[in-house]
Amino acid sequence: MGYLEEMAKYHKTQKHKEFGSDFLKAKEVKDYEFWDKIEIGKETEVPIKFEVKAEDMMAYAEGVPDDNPIFYDEAYAKKCGHDGLVAHPLFGTQVAFFVLRKGHGSWIRTPGSRNPGQIIEWYDPIRVGDVLTMKQRGYDKWIKRGKYYMRYLNELYDQNGKLKSRSYGTLILPKTKEDVLRFVRGEHALEA
Amino acid sequence: MANKLTFESVNCGDVLPEVKEHIDQETIWKHAVGSLDYNPVHTNPEWCKTAQVFGLPVPVQHGNQTMSLMCKVITNWAYPVGGRMKRMEVKLIKPVPVGSTCTYGAAVTEKHPVGKGGGGNFVTLDVWAKNQDGELVGTGIAQVYLP
Repeated sequence: MGYLEEMAKYHKTQKHKEFGSDFLKAKEVKDYEFWDKIEIGKETEVPIKFEVKAEDMMAYAEGVPDDNPIFYDEAYAKKCGHDGLVAHPLFGTQVAFFVLRKGHGSWIRTPGSRNPGQIIEWYDPIRVGDVLTMKQRGYDKWIKRGKYYMRYLNELYDQNGKLKSRSYGTLILPKTKEDVLRFVRGEHALEA
Repeated sequence: MANKLTFESVNCGDVLPEVKEHIDQETIWKHAVGSLDYNPVHTNPEWCKTAQVFGLPVPVQHGNQTMSLMCKVITNWAYPVGGRMKRMEVKLIKPVPVGSTCTYGAAVTEKHPVGKGGGGNFVTLDVWAKNQDGELVGTGIAQVYLP
């Protein structure tokens, strides 16, 4: 059984079934934005929206893994002082991967990318029923010790325009499309 | 039974109960599904043998899984009393290859009695993740609202 089939055993939500899990599809990779082409300062509102269902929130917590009942039991969460089922603090990761599939912002999917760290600010809890929109901006890019870094800013808003969270993520990326395609072929294409 | 956690009851220097997690390929696959991050550096052992993104021939744990487990230390502690995250800044120092066992911890370093005018009282914590050899694989600072 291949690795994609192995992971399919864990699919539980509607989004799991809809979402393409093969990040090595050359056809999709060609639609990514590559380090040397990233336009810093450009802000986009990502067209794909994310309607939050309880199953999505639970699926993230299960994958941590975190069995704290605040993530699964609404009555318990309310008893603890929350106003409903709680989204894991890193739930925005699932949202980001669901909405950022090509072009500006697709960097997080890039084969060969590395994640050296993040800053996340939370402003308002994500709730079941929220319809989330992401604003996305290339924030900075730089070269350090032969590696190609970039920093992006992702902001999540709900259906009322309320800011939910702000994430500054840093990535080390292959420099060019050709470098990414080398990774797609399973070749190493980064400096050590 | 311990007293209920509140902003008033917390002291600088308080150390939170640690979380320990072993990761195997199944754990990583489950996280890939939960996060929708199917990057092959985590999910595809055959690809990792040659691509060696981190100079390793095996898959590594997602950086955001490391962060999520650092958060777990805090959510275990603060969320059952109605606390919630305000801010977190994490530096991921070393890759966590499949087969690792990491320990995640946190300690309170600051109290901010800013009241409603400041958005609510919060505490600052140092957070960390160490592998089975005691090496730091992640370190950071978190701010957490407490009732």
